[in-house]
Amino acid sequence: MNPVTRIDVKDLVVRYGDSIAVNGVSFTVGRGEHLTLLGPSGCGKTTTLRAIAGLEQPSGGSIRIDGQAMYDAAARRNVPAEQRGVSMVFQSYAVWPHMTVFDNVAYGLRVRKQSAADIKTHVERALDLVQMRHLADRPASKLSGGQQQRVALARAVAFSPTVVLFDEPLSNLDAKLRAEMRVELRELQRRLDITSVYVTHDQEEALAISDRVIVMNVGVIEQIGTPEEIYNRPASRFVADFVGSANLLKGRRAGPDTFETEGGTILRIAPGGPEAGAEVAVRTAYIDLVPQPGDNQLPGTVRQRMFHGDFVQYIVECPAGRLIVRRPPVNLLDEGAPVTVSFSPEHTVLLRG
Amino acid sequence: MRLLPIVGVALCAIGWSGFAHAQDAKLCDKPVQMEGFKTCADVAKAKAEGAFTLYSTDPEQGQVKLLAAFNKLFPEIKTSYVRLQAGALYAKVLSERQAKSYLVDVIQISDMGMILDFQRKGGFRQYISPEMAAFPKEARSEPEGYWTWGSVIMGGIAYNPNNVPAAEAPKKWEDLLDPKWKDAINVKVSNSGLQHGVWYMLKPILGDDYFKKFAEQKPRAFDSYVQQYGRLVDGQDKIIMGAQYSGYIEFKAKGAPLAFVFPETGVPAVPETYGIVDQAPHPNAANLFMDWFLSPVGQKALADALLLHSPRKDVAPPGGADTVPLDKMKLLSPADWNAFEKDRPSFAKEWNRIVGAGR
Amino acid sequence: MTVDILKPKLNGQTIVSLAVILVVGFLVLLPMVFLVEESLNVGDPMAFPPQEYGLANFVSIFEEDINVLFNTVIIAVMATVMAILIGFTLAWILTRTNVPGRALLERLMELPYYMTPLVGALAWSIIAGPKSGFVNQIWKAVGGPGDLVDIYSHFGIAWIMALFEGTVAFVMISASMKSMDPALEESARVMGASKLRTTLTVTLPLVMPGVLGATLFVFAEMLGSFAAALVIGIPARIYVITTAIWDSTLSYPPDYGRASAMGLSLFVVMFAMLTFYRWRINKGSYATITGKAFRPRPMDMGGLAWLLLGVCILYVALAVVVPVGALLLTSLQRFATVILSQAEWTFANYQTALALGPVRTALFNSLLLGFGVASVGVLLMALLVWIIYRSRIRGAGMIEYLAMFPQAVPRLVFGLALLWAWLNIPIPIYGTLWLLALAYLTVMLPLGVRTLAGVVLQIDKSLEECARVCGAGWLYQMRSVTLPLLRPGILAAWLLIFMACVRELGVSVFLMGPNAKVIAPSIVAAFASSGTELTAAMALIQTATVVVALVILFRLTRGVTKEMS
Repeated sequence: MNPVTRIDVKDLVVRYGDSIAVNGVSFTVGRGEHLTLLGPSGCGKTTTLRAIAGLEQPSGGSIRIDGQAMYDAAARRNVPAEQRGVSMVFQSYAVWPHMTVFDNVAYGLRVRKQSAADIKTHVERALDLVQMRHLADRPASKLSGGQQQRVALARAVAFSPTVVLFDEPLSNLDAKLRAEMRVELRELQRRLDITSVYVTHDQEEALAISDRVIVMNVGVIEQIGTPEEIYNRPASRFVADFVGSANLLKGRRAGPDTFETEGGTILRIAPGGPEAGAEVAVRTAYIDLVPQPGDNQLPGTVRQRMFHGDFVQYIVECPAGRLIVRRPPVNLLDEGAPVTVSFSPEHTVLLRG
Repeated sequence: MRLLPIVGVALCAIGWSGFAHAQDAKLCDKPVQMEGFKTCADVAKAKAEGAFTLYSTDPEQGQVKLLAAFNKLFPEIKTSYVRLQAGALYAKVLSERQAKSYLVDVIQISDMGMILDFQRKGGFRQYISPEMAAFPKEARSEPEGYWTWGSVIMGGIAYNPNNVPAAEAPKKWEDLLDPKWKDAINVKVSNSGLQHGVWYMLKPILGDDYFKKFAEQKPRAFDSYVQQYGRLVDGQDKIIMGAQYSGYIEFKAKGAPLAFVFPETGVPAVPETYGIVDQAPHPNAANLFMDWFLSPVGQKALADALLLHSPRKDVAPPGGADTVPLDKMKLLSPADWNAFEKDRPSFAKEWNRIVGAGR
Repeated sequence: MTVDILKPKLNGQTIVSLAVILVVGFLVLLPMVFLVEESLNVGDPMAFPPQEYGLANFVSIFEEDINVLFNTVIIAVMATVMAILIGFTLAWILTRTNVPGRALLERLMELPYYMTPLVGALAWSIIAGPKSGFVNQIWKAVGGPGDLVDIYSHFGIAWIMALFEGTVAFVMISASMKSMDPALEESARVMGASKLRTTLTVTLPLVMPGVLGATLFVFAEMLGSFAAALVIGIPARIYVITTAIWDSTLSYPPDYGRASAMGLSLFVVMFAMLTFYRWRINKGSYATITGKAFRPRPMDMGGLAWLLLGVCILYVALAVVVPVGALLLTSLQRFATVILSQAEWTFANYQTALALGPVRTALFNSLLLGFGVASVGVLLMALLVWIIYRSRIRGAGMIEYLAMFPQAVPRLVFGLALLWAWLNIPIPIYGTLWLLALAYLTVMLPLGVRTLAGVVLQIDKSLEECARVCGAGWLYQMRSVTLPLLRPGILAAWLLIFMACVRELGVSVFLMGPNAKVIAPSIVAAFASSGTELTAAMALIQTATVVVALVILFRLTRGVTKEMS
């Protein structure tokens, strides 16, 4: 058993009544790693997370944490949630309204029957980490959303778990707060060297804070990789479409490193990639409108321009089709202007069929 | 030859089980003289038992008064009661025994048919009270000690003179068939022993047609004479057919405007019969109560509480000087109580139809 | 570290659940089994087990008791129509218009609930009885001929039932009205529809499902109603199924077969209606999840608002004020003549009533039972509710079904079933308070489960899951998280159960004993053998006691419920 691996999920299957929510999912999480399960609602990411926590009853596969089998279908073994020693932050925070902040955070320690002095120390330290120490005696029912979120976090780390599971913890916050909390979360995780499994549907968030990302769709894994890999080399149409913004061009592989579009244009594509494929993806951010040496170059005309603040989006008509292009918001081009659409073969990724 | 003794023993066993409690109980050797009555009961044990339960058809307030008089003599014995009309009461007693819940010590039922049935079922425990000797023969069970008549009730005709002018007032049973009394007569429910007695005695005398025609009067049935007389007083009904005389005395004493008629044909009369129940929870208290109740002291308490006539000749009639004593009434009672008992199911069915109680 | 196996776990949770299923099943289903068996008894009515089986009892219902069935249906239909009209009108007035004093009126609408139909029926027999009823007295005094009203009729019985069931209809319909999105009406108004047109074309159709649901529910209740039919119907020679059942068991020989057959038939009809209600209208669960209740903007009725206020006050007057007044008046007189000029005033009735040992005992017993059953009951029901809605046990649906089952059985019928069951189970608790306690517990299950379910479902599941993930075992989690959060619900359920126990009639009439008397049946018994004045006094004493007890309890618990909200 690799000592670096904290969590090992193999062939996990989880059913909901007649439908299959998680259909044979396998992955590992290394020590101190921040892994994110990313996907649309219904893809099975939350179910997978809850299965690791012991809150869902799987139908097949196995889950090991620190080498110990927590769930193993073959061995008919299922450790109940309260004995798994993992921690969890819930989407709704689940802060108990009938207790104070202190009692909330102390709960896990009290269950483990630690001494009052130890409890005090740990709770205060956890509250310090989230800057909530001054509200320790406040009844939890009187906290704002953001404050509840911090308490949930403090509670999750108070008893020094090695694994923390996050179920979309930021989705109930507004955009600004979410961006701030994202950073704080990452900081906390690094500082305490926690292994975390994080669930979100927000791809921006996933890319920003993860060490690795698993993109899931209808119960199966579409792709596992670092954020850069997911972004630059999407493996399938789903990943290309779900993460970031991409142009999808239909056609067929014409040679070892060429692709012919339906319109007959020949494009040079990135090396590697699947044997056969009917689509290539080109990220909108990777398309330039002036020719660059070494790139695939096509003549085109600007058909529409939309100003988005941080970037400007053009729709450009060219032999390969109508392409969406995102550029920095300077040197705006007018509609009808002639351009040269230019993108490197590195960024022209053949997707699996 | 060995067979005979075996059969003999078997027969004795069967006979014994059938009359398990009919081994002649005898009057005890030394009855104790209490205040006003003699008792064979073990008074100390009775007091130790500390409780006594009576099931009776008499109105609640009356039962409370009666039991209070007993309790005054024996404060250690707490009394409780249940009041239901005869049929309901008997049904309850039988149900309880079936469930092996023995809750009652003494029962009073105003229908002799049910009494006989209960005796046959072995429901009564035989106890000879020193006071029983003073009762007429027909008022005691055969063999003695299973049950005794506690009072005699009779049913006549009652009306409110404020609502029924003297000229129109009914004098005979036949007068009640007059169409002007339609919807204005009330009677007792078929559960009632007295009502059964009225039916049983008047049918042969007045003819089968009488009750057919009576049905057309659409009489209303009630569970207790208290309701019946109440409705006379407030004018909702005009006449009671088979009106219980004790109720008349009771209400008259309270000042209600009432008149009572003893038709010449006679007034049907039935007894209210008391007996100690087998496997009673407080057997000694039951014996004590019986002795007290059947004595002149107890009978007087009954007369005071419920204005009832005692079968004992040495007890004065209830109420004031106006009360007609038993020997001055023309009482109509069944000669054969067994036939009376058999008559009940058909009576109940017919009577229910007459009062609109369905089936 | 102990580890579970994947097969049915024999841990504490499963054992407890199995035990609960067995207990509830025993309480709820066993009496029904006896009832079914007895309904097929065509031999000796007192024999157990029945010696002859057959369908004769059922057949003869249709042959000989047609008029009983007829009466039952007629009265139930009339009562339902009136109750729904009352409920709808009141709901509409209080949720959709700007009638003054709305908050106070809503509280007043709860009052009829304290007046049991029994007490109400007694009062109305005094108010509207022929010849001597209040109304007819006044009518005669102003020179009117004959009687203006006669409560002793099908309509009279229906009227009383509707008056008291009206509050139930009101609560159900107003809940439906409150959960309507106000934007639906507002968009109609914006497009130019008048208030009336909006009400008829938008509000009414939207509320229809709620109204239909209430109709179905109320009708089912009316079929099984007993008190009014007992007090008014029997003197009027109008027998309905419940009073016919009652009558059958009270005659000698008791016709348990007929009673059981009628009871079973009534049960089947009610059961079918309630199942239909549950399936079509409530969509599955008896627990109505209180979602967000909109506060629709009430319509300005102008001067009409005062008229509407009058309507509401009229209802409260008819349902509560006038009956209580009539009872008070009667209880203070020597003879129940209502000709005030002839009245002889006295306190004797109260003296007698309070001195009557049985009345004091009955009151005491009722309060004791209320206390005991409510206290034990809420714990059992909280456990049940958690098992049904929160655990993953297979068979949770079965438990919910069992717990709600008594709701489909008319009280009287269930009392009969229990009577018959316990006459034949060889444990001698028949006629004791223990049997009453058991019976009350069983019939209160739906009430308690429904109340607690509403609260449990509002508790976010993650609050409990989080405790588990933090390392808390099931028991610790229940103690530290679930039960404290349930507290307001537990209190509400306790109060409701207490009140229901003290008023209980249908089951108690069959199961009382000499030392196990309770109040409502005692009042019924007094009605039969004690005269109206004394009965009126007893009824008022009962009502007053209940009200006082509740006020005390509300005071005591107000602190707790405030802190929770």
